[in-house]
Amino acid sequence: MIRVEDVHKRYQTDHGPGKWILSGVSFSIPRSVSVGLIGRNGAGKSTLLRLIGGIDQPTRGRIDRQCRVSWPLGFAGGFQGSLTGRQNARFICRIHGHDDDLRERLDFIRDWAEIGAAFDEPVKTYSSGMRGRLNFAISLAFDFDVYLSDEVTAVGDAAFKKKAAETFRTLADRAGLIMVSHGEGTLREFCDAGIWLHEGRAHWFDDIADALRQYKESLPK
Amino acid sequence: MRITRPRSPLEITWAVWRALFLREAVSRLSASRAAWLWLLFEPVVHVVFFMVIFGVIRQHTVGGVDGAMFIMTGVLGFFAFRNASARATNAVGANAALFAYRQVLPVDAVLVRAALEFVLLFFVAVIVLGGASVAGYEALPQDPLRVVQAGAGLWLVGVGAGLVFSVGVELVPEIGRFLDFFFNRSLYFASGIFFPPLGIPQPYRDWLMLNPLLHGVEAVRIGFFHQYQTTPDVDLGYLYGFALVTIFLGLALHARFALRLVTK
Repeated sequence: MIRVEDVHKRYQTDHGPGKWILSGVSFSIPRSVSVGLIGRNGAGKSTLLRLIGGIDQPTRGRIDRQCRVSWPLGFAGGFQGSLTGRQNARFICRIHGHDDDLRERLDFIRDWAEIGAAFDEPVKTYSSGMRGRLNFAISLAFDFDVYLSDEVTAVGDAAFKKKAAETFRTLADRAGLIMVSHGEGTLREFCDAGIWLHEGRAHWFDDIADALRQYKESLPK
Repeated sequence: MRITRPRSPLEITWAVWRALFLREAVSRLSASRAAWLWLLFEPVVHVVFFMVIFGVIRQHTVGGVDGAMFIMTGVLGFFAFRNASARATNAVGANAALFAYRQVLPVDAVLVRAALEFVLLFFVAVIVLGGASVAGYEALPQDPLRVVQAGAGLWLVGVGAGLVFSVGVELVPEIGRFLDFFFNRSLYFASGIFFPPLGIPQPYRDWLMLNPLLHGVEAVRIGFFHQYQTTPDVDLGYLYGFALVTIFLGLALHARFALRLVTK
């Protein structure tokens, strides 16, 4: 269960506080329900996902997570460039409380990421595709109850995209998903419910198809 | 679907501290090729520097203590404060990427850095003093518990200063420059590293004794050498009281500005 209560968010700009991106968003997502976030560019989809993932904090309001929530997949900001892929992975395993089975998890990450010897090179030498692979592999190494995904299938080459999509399907079976995507097909495939973000507010739809219809109607003709 | 039990806040914090500690240790010791070498040599370089400047000290004793050892104990005592506070002050900016994981808080990064500096300085002190002892200096503490007590007090003031300034430099980046001067110059000269407070005439000595670090540094020397002559004003209670106040203030600042530190 993830409960979002009256969340407001605006960013600090160079000229004082910016405009409200989210103003009074409230909803709760039951465990194991997969939700798609839709809305126009700049509607606050990624912002909301970051808030749910705890990467950023709401300006006002609160978010209550009573389950293990991943960070947004495809988000690669949490790496320290001077440390190797392995050292970064090890750190993330440790803060998630996996000291006992560290070795197996690191093996899993190395095998899944398929970045070869680069796993033991500093992350700053990685291409963005390699970063994406590593990040995706690390988030798969944990049993989260809810996975957050921000256009995850958009990184990497064709082979990686295929692999990511397949893994994603198995993930959706065992855990909840909250995803941001502009691909209608992807949303229909993975999500049950939908949240339409419009003018700083969130509208909940039990069926993703209704959310998509509402979203399309709001677009300028 | 398997339901996993959420970890308790204490479990999470402990896991984060462990992970941060190991990570900081790796990056501190492997940052550059000779990082660990400089760690060992820095105190020695300071001692040699003063020995050259005050060439006379070589033959003389200060307050009944050999000149080199007088400076060495002062440098190590001061470093217990400076290493912790200077490294902890920059902990928030240096670890900004990690706050992406909501388990990691800025205050964790600050405390872990300070703890790492304590451990490192302990090993540095053992090696350097051991080396000096082998070289024939009277370098082993005669009252080790008193040394630990004074060193820990200096370190705790460093933790408090680190907590306060780590918030300070994030909110007002301009004070970073001032702090560098403050730690490395002003306090360095005001903490009795290379002069005994007894050599300072009144009323200036009383003014100088307002500096809690001077109390700590002198207490370290008293622990090392029974014969060391110093002013009876040296008071560890003052040092610890100062530590308590700064740590409380620092934690309060971190609690108050936690949000500002993780959101940019």
